[in-house]
Amino acid sequence: MGDESPLLKIEGLRTVFRTSVGEIAAVDGVDLAVPRGRTLGIVGESGCGKSMLSLSVMRLVPPPGRIASGRVLLEGRDLLTLAPAEMRDVRGSRVAMIFQEPMTSLNPVHPVGRQITEAMRAHDKRASARELRDRAIEALRRVRIPAPERRFDDYPHQLSGGMRQRVMIAMALACRPALLIADEPTTALDVTVQAQILDLLRELQAETGMSIVLITHDLGVVAEMADEVAVMYAGKVVERAAAVEIFASPQHPYTLGLLGSIPRLDEDRERLLAIEGAVPPPFALPKGCRFHPRCPFAIETCTRAQPMLEEVAPGHLAACIRAPVEQAVELVA
Amino acid sequence: MSATAAEIAVPQRPSALRLLLREPAAAASLALVMLAALAAVFAPLLAPHDPFETNLVAIMQPPGGEYLLGTDGQGRDMLSRMLFGLRITLGMGALSLVFGTAVGVAVGFAAAYYRRLDGLLMRLMDILLSFPAILFGLAIAAIFGPGITAVVIALSVATVPLMARIARSSALVVLGQDYIEAARAQGMGDARLIRRHLAPNCLSPILVFATLRFGQVILLGSALSFLGLGAQPPMAELGAMASQGRTFLFFAPHISVLPCLVIFVVVLACNVLGDALRDALDPRLRI
Repeated sequence: MGDESPLLKIEGLRTVFRTSVGEIAAVDGVDLAVPRGRTLGIVGESGCGKSMLSLSVMRLVPPPGRIASGRVLLEGRDLLTLAPAEMRDVRGSRVAMIFQEPMTSLNPVHPVGRQITEAMRAHDKRASARELRDRAIEALRRVRIPAPERRFDDYPHQLSGGMRQRVMIAMALACRPALLIADEPTTALDVTVQAQILDLLRELQAETGMSIVLITHDLGVVAEMADEVAVMYAGKVVERAAAVEIFASPQHPYTLGLLGSIPRLDEDRERLLAIEGAVPPPFALPKGCRFHPRCPFAIETCTRAQPMLEEVAPGHLAACIRAPVEQAVELVA
Repeated sequence: MSATAAEIAVPQRPSALRLLLREPAAAASLALVMLAALAAVFAPLLAPHDPFETNLVAIMQPPGGEYLLGTDGQGRDMLSRMLFGLRITLGMGALSLVFGTAVGVAVGFAAAYYRRLDGLLMRLMDILLSFPAILFGLAIAAIFGPGITAVVIALSVATVPLMARIARSSALVVLGQDYIEAARAQGMGDARLIRRHLAPNCLSPILVFATLRFGQVILLGSALSFLGLGAQPPMAELGAMASQGRTFLFFAPHISVLPCLVIFVVVLACNVLGDALRDALDPRLRI
């Protein structure tokens, strides 16, 4: 199969924030790979570091945060060593990003078409205004916006949430990036529109062959979209596998807990399983495995050493000494 | 042609100008400011007499008669002098507003955008802010000699820190918006980001403050001229005219009162207009 090297490879990425209580790691030694033309889903609760991870890839971590160590290899080139101007060229043209809030991610004072041409202009200084306009209308057409010639001059407030997210996608894809990072792209939209946007992303991926990193807390979205899944907890990846694998046989107790908290139609359960407690704040991480205070399978060993991400089945990594979990489940039961 | 969903007009919020004109006081103020500006621009065409021509047989004439608004202590036509005086007064105000705003907004944006500069720049602004404008006028008149240049420099310098604060605070709000992050993620450079995204969204507070400040600057400029630091005789300037007329306040009050009245009306109109503009540009108040 053609090119086997992954499009994006993240190695030992650590993003820290300087605070009054010392340096806090929002992303703590993450290794990931995104294959060409595929979708990696990153799942986790709020505060697990998944958004910081995506901003780290873009090198847009807001101060006082900074990337302390690691490598972010895009097409073999380490983005973390690029000069600011080179990085600016990468943003938008090689890696693009769409955000959670389509309501506020567009500038209210400019017509949407102009915002798309602006995005193109950032990477193409020579094209004529006429040409950019045609390309922007084409970009709007690609995201299935009806009558794009007329929508071009509309202001963001004249469009619905779904339309605005389509415009955001058009803007992100304007320069045909190889990688699209979608940070909770459907969270702010209602369910029918969510489905449309996800369909659109899939169709565009098939058309352009781009890779997608999909960040979400919604396992339903992951199941629908992702080829591979990484589950994050407290700044670390705790489980990584093909999407089918994750849903069929989750190996980390945290993943198990996440799956247990989804309502299901095919099982008769009185209550949804909830994971007790909340994600620990990064300045008060427990010793040993970061999940052990909330883990139903925790044993004494878990409080001592942080488990490493290890292969529990071919292509399936989990950071849990009790994996595979089936045994632990039986032990508890 | 059938009306499709795309063709149904989204209700437009009324434009800021329309909202402004809906307010009678605001509309009147806008008209007054524009009238004053036009009178200043076309002063040479409108003035019935040469503003510098003295007529020693007709000094301190009261309003009415051959000279519509009377004459001053040297027999010069008050109306013509006031038209030319308005030119100087508004011109000084406008120039110092433009310079002060340009520098102030640049400093404010720089402080908000490059956070490393924030502390240094804003403390510098605080230092400027601690001097009253009149004191600047005195200092600069002492250095350059009294005159219009001294007034414009003093008022520009006095406007910079105020404008910088307004620009910085609104820029900080705008920079926290998602569309700024989105623009960065598209690889937009600093200069472009500031021009296309930051500046247009900071425009309304700056515009409102500039309108209010125009009134203040005119008042300060006239005050400096009144004190003898600004326009020098025989130049016609409203503050200077009020100053020259004060010796005759008991025999010919119109020589001082009329220029003061013009200043009063223009400044008041600027204040009312500024307030109304703030209301009209506030998106929360739009219905």
